[in-house]
Amino acid sequence: MTEQNSRGSGPKSIGFLTGDTDDGRNIDTTLGTLSGEAASQATLATKHDVVLHSKAFPYVPSSQSQASPSYYNQPLLKQPVWIWSIPAYFYVGGVAGVGATLGAAAQLMAPKSMRSLVIRSRWVAIIGGVISSGLLIHDLGRPARFLNMLRVFRVSSPMSMGSWILSAFSSAAGAAALAPFGPKLLQPLGEAAGVLAGLFGLGLSGYTGVLISQTAVPVWQESYRTNPILFLASGAAAAGSFFEFFRLNARESHAVERFALMGKFLEFAALLVLQAEARRVSRVARPLEEGFSGFLWRAAKLAIIAGIAVSVLPGKSRAKSVVSGVLGSAASLFVRFGVFYAGKASARDPRASFEQQRQLSGRPR
Amino acid sequence: MANGFFTDTTLCIGCKACEVACKQWNQLPDDGYHFTGMSYDNTMALGSSTWRHVSFIERPAPIGDADTGGLAWLMASDVCKHCARAGCLENCPTGAIIRTEFGSVYVQPDVCNGCGYCVSGCPFGVIDRNHEDGRAWKCTLCYDRQKDGMQPACAKACPTASIQFGEINDLRHRARERVDKLHELGVKEAYLYGEDAASQPGTEGLNAFFLLLDKPEVYNLPPHPEVPTHKGKKSWISAGLAAIGVTALAFASVMLGNSARE
Ligand code: SF4
Ligand code: SF4
Repeated sequence: MTEQNSRGSGPKSIGFLTGDTDDGRNIDTTLGTLSGEAASQATLATKHDVVLHSKAFPYVPSSQSQASPSYYNQPLLKQPVWIWSIPAYFYVGGVAGVGATLGAAAQLMAPKSMRSLVIRSRWVAIIGGVISSGLLIHDLGRPARFLNMLRVFRVSSPMSMGSWILSAFSSAAGAAALAPFGPKLLQPLGEAAGVLAGLFGLGLSGYTGVLISQTAVPVWQESYRTNPILFLASGAAAAGSFFEFFRLNARESHAVERFALMGKFLEFAALLVLQAEARRVSRVARPLEEGFSGFLWRAAKLAIIAGIAVSVLPGKSRAKSVVSGVLGSAASLFVRFGVFYAGKASARDPRASFEQQRQLSGRPR
Repeated sequence: MANGFFTDTTLCIGCKACEVACKQWNQLPDDGYHFTGMSYDNTMALGSSTWRHVSFIERPAPIGDADTGGLAWLMASDVCKHCARAGCLENCPTGAIIRTEFGSVYVQPDVCNGCGYCVSGCPFGVIDRNHEDGRAWKCTLCYDRQKDGMQPACAKACPTASIQFGEINDLRHRARERVDKLHELGVKEAYLYGEDAASQPGTEGLNAFFLLLDKPEVYNLPPHPEVPTHKGKKSWISAGLAAIGVTALAFASVMLGNSARE
């Protein structure tokens, strides 16, 4: 065996040639060089288990005579390869982004009476921005190459736009958070950075909705109109809920409560609209109704309703704010993870795509 | 100039020479040896280390008016379509995916950072991220061979000319003649899939198109694929409107709060 042994203790190759590689390529390196297009591709150390649908097919899997044929129930699409850190990022980016927007509004409308809200929103923004980058890099197949994200400015790619938005947002939020520690001269710049962070924050919370819309995943693309609305509304509810954990003055907490409450109403409405959109093709809406993603989706609805109920209770207390904050945050997390796992399930169902495209072709759009 | 494939599935004998030639030329690793029970298809799907995949369909319906005992065995060699509007390319945030001088869609392995967005952007489920390697891989239309004036390995190896390589207009011409010929022979169900923008507006045509005998779904091909960028564009409008709405919410909340008594 040669040093071309990237599979480690994998199965031995056929081995009738002297310099055979042991990495699944079976190339005799005494005769040929490893210089093909895929020669640098690392091979699987362990072969993943294959789901065999086959044992016995109750019917011939593909045929004209079937109303809804498929190829042995094999998925048409590849499942999104993203892991938990992506929906977690949707949430964190939502809190940081819309939080900065609320902070900028307070900075412009009530610079004195809501100063501590303004300062806190800036710190939430910059810390959220840093965590967001961490979550995104964690998901990359080649984390060391994360800077390639800023290699091009590609308008057609929401992920490229998002990378630039996140960079701009974090820079502005960082400048705004640090400005108060700098010389007096810098203060106007800090204020301007605060407003900019508020603007970029809208982009940060909204683009993720566009990001999932621009995929081949049936349930994500069917609701392309509502995704960004749901994500921004969920961001507003989550940011408001997060600020409810802080000890703020009376005016600030009043503003934060209103914001969280209105955000929750909007979030709930968007949730219902998204589901109605998906239901135009029943197969597409399935993951919102069944399985793990369906469970998360129902949990989101319950948590929003419970959160609204707590918010409208009369009286003011610390406990009430905390409970409302917890419910609002949980709801937003359920929304993000629910949408995410619904997408995964949707991509596994070939008939979701087939039925969507068959129905759509007759539908004006 | 754009080169591509015309895959005439009526000529395919399911020998998998294309799969093997592709693996060998590109030095792709094996995928393990599985027995699926899906007819003679133990490859199952295209993936990061499988750039040609022959599907086998056992169908209880004859081909044309031939007497086949009510049965027919369809075989088709699937591949990346090198779409005129490629979802993978338009989604890639790093610029790793490019359109080459041969009109093909190529992933540069030294640029890809494995974000996986191309995987969700392909309406055909072609490109995939290798979890071990971390990068996205797919058919290159033998970019290296084309640069040396050779045809792709699969087309070279195909013993029945089921896979034909060439200039795309030339291929279209040949393909249409073949369909006419088949219709003459009584195989009325023969049709071209994705041969140009008119027949598949969602992708504006495929540089690797097919001649099929049954619904696209039967071959695990989408009936009306569309580059996801169309949806994305409209989604940005919603995002803009929602951003205005949330800004209004923020200002309204601050004003409400500010008018509250201390
Ligand atoms: S078939 Fe998929 S991977 Fe191939 S060019 Fe089209 S979108 Fe890209
Ligand atoms: S995984 Fe690689 S090729 Fe695919 S979109 Fe990301 S950077 Fe581009």
